[in-house]
Amino acid sequence: MAVFESTEVAERVFGTLFEILLKDEQFTSQLRAGDMSILLTQTNPDCVLHVSADALTVGADAPEQATIRIKMSSDTAHQLWLGKLMMPTAIATGRVRIRGKVARVLELVPILRPAFDRYPELAEKEGLPV
Amino acid sequence: MTNHDAIDLNFDVLPGEVEKLRLQVREFAREVVAPRVTALDAAPADDFDWEMVAQGHALGLTRVAVPKDYGGLGLGMIGCAVALEEVASVCAGTALIFGAAMLGQCPVLLSGDPRLQARFLPMFSGDSPVLACNAVTEEEAGCDLIIPANAVHARDVMTARRDGDHYVLNGRKRFITNAQVAAFASVFANMEGAPGATGLTSFMVPLDLPGVVRGPVADKMGYRLCLGSELEFHDVRIPAENMIGEEGDGMAINMAQSNMARASVAGISVGVARGAFEQALEWCDTRVQGGRPLREHQFTAAKLAEMAAKIDAARLLYLKAAHKVDNELPAPQYEPAAAKLFADRVAIDVADLAMSLTGARGYVKSFGMEKRLRDAYGARIYEGTPEVLALAVTESLYDRDRT
Repeated sequence: MAVFESTEVAERVFGTLFEILLKDEQFTSQLRAGDMSILLTQTNPDCVLHVSADALTVGADAPEQATIRIKMSSDTAHQLWLGKLMMPTAIATGRVRIRGKVARVLELVPILRPAFDRYPELAEKEGLPV
Repeated sequence: MTNHDAIDLNFDVLPGEVEKLRLQVREFAREVVAPRVTALDAAPADDFDWEMVAQGHALGLTRVAVPKDYGGLGLGMIGCAVALEEVASVCAGTALIFGAAMLGQCPVLLSGDPRLQARFLPMFSGDSPVLACNAVTEEEAGCDLIIPANAVHARDVMTARRDGDHYVLNGRKRFITNAQVAAFASVFANMEGAPGATGLTSFMVPLDLPGVVRGPVADKMGYRLCLGSELEFHDVRIPAENMIGEEGDGMAINMAQSNMARASVAGISVGVARGAFEQALEWCDTRVQGGRPLREHQFTAAKLAEMAAKIDAARLLYLKAAHKVDNELPAPQYEPAAAKLFADRVAIDVADLAMSLTGARGYVKSFGMEKRLRDAYGARIYEGTPEVLALAVTESLYDRDRT
């Protein structure tokens, strides 16, 4: 059974998560310095988010173009942000697929720390398994 | 967009920073490496030229793919492959010194763990050269550690067991390039109790830890400027945080880093081929038989044409593979495997043809061609034999998800 019962729940949870990230100065300054944007496309249930240094767009209005495009299932995203699925495992096994400059991605991963720190609390508040 | 814009594909220009590095490395290969090659190739197997490595390190050859945030050049696999082609056009063994260091860095790059990256990556941008190595192969297990379906059949594989907040490693690795001179190793060990290599796990291991023994250097046919040796682990305790991924993820991580690295090995093979070709090209221009240069004889011309075309094709394949690796995570399986499969064969074919064209001169050691031929066979072994690569390529052909 999927962790998220609907697209609406997934968009709410991951939208809140990236709103938290967008309040992190290091995250936004790195996006801005690298002229980076991220398109996150999750499945089962579907959930699409587009993140730039200045804006977060969730759902059907999300722009299709981004310098980094990430695909995974919403369950995988849940495991990843909880810290139960390690990044090298997720990548090596293909559960997370990323398109875009790998050098940029490697620089991006360490500054996602605030999201890893906050997600368990966020998930718990939504009644998701943690 | 006009039709002309839509089909604009430029094969002539490398990214600016990569081209700049290529020219610097070409000069390093010709001015620093070339004068030393003959003597070092003939030296005892354990002879190692740190002074030469230091000059390569000064150019950034030990940190081409390391992100700029950690003091690296941040030039990805394209940068690695192009730089290694230049070094290998003079000496494949020297190229592999730097290539093996990059391979040892791969799991740290993949880890996405800022603590591990801060510990293991900045050391490559210091004043003194630092090398790393990748320790996979063992006495009884070679391809069994890089073909997932073989894992269950692997025999007598190095072990790891959890002990509190540490892991304890025991076993022996063989034929590990740079093991004798590296600061740390990327080590793959099987979790105790897991059949074969089904519990293969990736660890970063500083080689100054108690219980690490650097074994004898192999007396190799080629690639003699880099050292391949054994690494023994006797109850080596490493912090749990030095594990990459999770227990049992080693095979997937090994495959992922192989897919990243194969494009650069293809670059080495292209370099070997190019070096042999350029030497033959010059010989065939100046050597006169039958009243005209060899290149004007049709059989010779056919060989030169075949060599040139194969080298160009192999280079295009590795550039395409490296580009994919620099833009996809996980790295694709098909393109790097196909590029290496082709380039490794090209290196052997071209070196053989070059040896044929240079006649008796080529057969004399001081001419340098026989070293190129010996080196040409090296890349057919490491980072995937033709048999392993063929399986990887064919598996990709039947992968419906491959884009």
